[in-house]
Amino acid sequence: MSRRGWILLVTWILLLALGVFWVQSNLHVSADLRLFMPPPRTEQQRLLIQNIGESPASRLLVLAIEGDQPTRLAAISNQFSAALAKHAEFGFVANGGQAQPSIPEHLLPYRYLITDSFDQQPLDEARLESELADREADMASPAAGFLEEWLPRDPTLEVLHLVARWQPRAEPHHTDGAWFSADSKRALLLVETRAAAFDPDGQGTAIGILREEFARARGASPATLTVSGTGYFSSYIRDHTQNEATWIGTADTIGMIVMVWFAYRRFLFTVLGALPLATGGLAGLALVSALFDSVHGVTLAFGFTLIGVAQDYPMHLFSHLEPHEPPLHTARRVWPPLATGLASTSIAYLAFLVSGVIGLAQVACLTITGLLAAGLTTRYLLPRVVPPMKFDPSKSSRLQRLNQSIERLPRPFALFAIIPVVAAVVFFLRPEGFWQNNLSKLTPVPPDMLRTDVELRRELATPDLRYLLVASGASQDAVLAALEGMDAELARSVKEGAIGSFEHAAQYLPSAALQRQRQAALPDAARLRDMVTRAAAQSPFEDGLFEPFIKDVERARTLPPLTRADLADTPLALRLGSELFEREGRWYALISLYDVHDPRAVAALAQGHSGEVTFLDLKAASEELVAAQRSHIILCLEIAAVLLVSVIALALRKLSRVLRVLAPMLLTTLVILAVLRACDVSLSLFHLISLVLAAGLGLDYALFFEHASPEAAEQQRTLHALLVCSATTLWVFALLALSTVPILQAIGVTVSLGVVSNFVLALLLTRERTAAHG
Amino acid sequence: MEYRFSHLLKKPLRSSGTLEYRADGVLIRSVTSPYHEVTEVTGDEVRITRANKPARSFSLERAPQLRVLLGSFRALLDGHLTPLTRDFDVQLIEQAPRWTLTLEPKDARLAKQLARISVFGAEQRPQCLEALEPDGDGALTLLKDAPAKEDKLPARAEVEQACHASGAPLADAHH
Repeated sequence: MSRRGWILLVTWILLLALGVFWVQSNLHVSADLRLFMPPPRTEQQRLLIQNIGESPASRLLVLAIEGDQPTRLAAISNQFSAALAKHAEFGFVANGGQAQPSIPEHLLPYRYLITDSFDQQPLDEARLESELADREADMASPAAGFLEEWLPRDPTLEVLHLVARWQPRAEPHHTDGAWFSADSKRALLLVETRAAAFDPDGQGTAIGILREEFARARGASPATLTVSGTGYFSSYIRDHTQNEATWIGTADTIGMIVMVWFAYRRFLFTVLGALPLATGGLAGLALVSALFDSVHGVTLAFGFTLIGVAQDYPMHLFSHLEPHEPPLHTARRVWPPLATGLASTSIAYLAFLVSGVIGLAQVACLTITGLLAAGLTTRYLLPRVVPPMKFDPSKSSRLQRLNQSIERLPRPFALFAIIPVVAAVVFFLRPEGFWQNNLSKLTPVPPDMLRTDVELRRELATPDLRYLLVASGASQDAVLAALEGMDAELARSVKEGAIGSFEHAAQYLPSAALQRQRQAALPDAARLRDMVTRAAAQSPFEDGLFEPFIKDVERARTLPPLTRADLADTPLALRLGSELFEREGRWYALISLYDVHDPRAVAALAQGHSGEVTFLDLKAASEELVAAQRSHIILCLEIAAVLLVSVIALALRKLSRVLRVLAPMLLTTLVILAVLRACDVSLSLFHLISLVLAAGLGLDYALFFEHASPEAAEQQRTLHALLVCSATTLWVFALLALSTVPILQAIGVTVSLGVVSNFVLALLLTRERTAAHG
Repeated sequence: MEYRFSHLLKKPLRSSGTLEYRADGVLIRSVTSPYHEVTEVTGDEVRITRANKPARSFSLERAPQLRVLLGSFRALLDGHLTPLTRDFDVQLIEQAPRWTLTLEPKDARLAKQLARISVFGAEQRPQCLEALEPDGDGALTLLKDAPAKEDKLPARAEVEQACHASGAPLADAHH
């Protein structure tokens, strides 16, 4: 190679190194699947997008400790939860071992404003009398121990009433001072993380702390810790996907190096062949990092697909190199089909750019930029650094024999008829489940982990993950008032058995209006003292015992209404934060539901308050979203298809040529769909995207076969090029098809099928017969 | 018959009823006079049901007297005191056929609620349970086959005497 060539090569590699450095520092990877969801249209869908991953239920991690004696497990559980409570990453930690949660001193007088005990029946003498009678019985009962201390200050036990209301879930089985599963084999804990469920980094940190503290609390015991929950799954998915991506990437690279070496016998070519690919990849990543705040992991997965397509370009150049032709001339020669393929694939991906889905726009950006960069560098830069060929790589005798035997193959134009018919039959036989609407099928979490999660959640009675009621209002107070308006009906639902129980922000923070109402209903000190004296006259309680009570009620009468800021330092703050929030000038409150038995009854409830309260069925809403998105994308793809055909037509000009080029791609699409359906695979968004990619590949192959002149040597070179291309592409995507991550598997299977089918069909249908040789 | 003395009360509370320790380990305390109440202790859970009122459930941790009572029944049946020694300093005084079991809590938090529990009994049956709190309050439960019908409330010293007499005499009046 000339000196100029070497300088150029070194400069290029240096630029790439710089590029890697820049991308690494600017690339933020996200695992938020919301990036792949379309913009919401209905109120339900909008709330869905807002709430996924941020509702209180989704931030709960359920933990189970097993593998030792129950007493030992209980001790570990208590030590563990005490240690966890000290970390800021966790909102609350509950294992059953805590003393009754206490209300901070400065908030105690507010109990008379927060409690609903006196709403129906105000505090009067009759009420006091009956309460005191109860307390008398309590004093003699085993419950005396902890009731006694509250008696002078709170004879109606409002504190206990409130605390009970704030924990609506039934407590799990209690043994040795900790929660246990029904069979007493597992100690159970509930932990609320500050990190949102779809923040794998935050979750990863929290889970790391969990394991550390557990190792410390466990000591010498053989007990094991099981962690489960939405947050845990997102962290697991991220690690799992990263691991898989790493080993697949490594296997890909090794395989490709081997294959390229085998095809061209020069190590330098392997290195050179990687350059346009690296350039394309970096250019794509750089643009995407610059344009978007964070790049989704799936977008990066599509970076793999780039490898599959972009590495074809240098192959075409190398395979067509002739011993005495300057590489630039070769590049000029192979440019027309290469450019046409490049243009048409880019146009197909343009459809995703305007689809309105951020994740797809990222994929489009990445792919188009990458392809353009790879193609252009192959055309202009690569030939300048390629040393002149000493031999023709395609001139092997094996290849010649292959070429001739392929020549002899018939041109089965009958396939034009056979394939569509077979495909139609398959579709007819399997009409069900064509489209995959269920987002949960996209998760690579193993089913037994999911089952454990359901089990543990049931034991710990955590709020429902699927059904949610959302109230909205113009101000915080308005939305709290809306919640209070719902109370009566919600209580009725509980009585009727539609739901087990419910929880919402107004239970901790009543609206100012309600607080003032209650304040006004409280008796003043003189009257209260009078009532107390008369009620206590018959009771065995000491005179003047209830002075603290009278003082507290008097204080409650003059307090300003409780605001959110007052609760800031309490454990309630985190709960409130996720249940009551503002978005774009409007206030929203979530009503968590427990044990939903009759979702339709709950939906009917919301309908009665339409405009204020919405019923969210997260599963149904997400499926609706997916379906709506799909019709939109198919429309985009149809437009892309039209554009694509026009580009081809413009480039090739003759109808017969156009048809010969399009045929393998169209038939392959039918073949892929038929095979997937025959194997009972439901199509998801990612299958669709991969179909586009496979079509792009098919076009490339067909264009090259079509472009090659009938001369035998040229045909042979084209065959060589396309064999190498398809072999390397197949290698990349076949490895992806082995992945356990459903998204990667979908891409891998679709494109692998596409490569094989496209290659065979292009070979059979597009290739011209060479001039007859001996 | 149970007597409860407290500085919150003008006069002591008296209730009578039955105590049953079932074969499956469930303790049932039924109060029949002056009101109706049933307390059921299953495993670690205490459930108190009073007429016309919703049941109240809580952990046995919070009712040390019941825990000791349960523990002593179990100890009598099983023959050893190990479960009780874990949480209490146990002292057993025997003067056949009577015995007195004195327990003081080890846990500081519990000690704030409870100073000492003494179980007085003869042969295989406990006769009286005395629970003393640090501030001087206390509850005495006399377990007799037929509760005596008493019209006036006895003084505390009287009840204590009746209670202690049912077991072995305590070495000295301490605490």
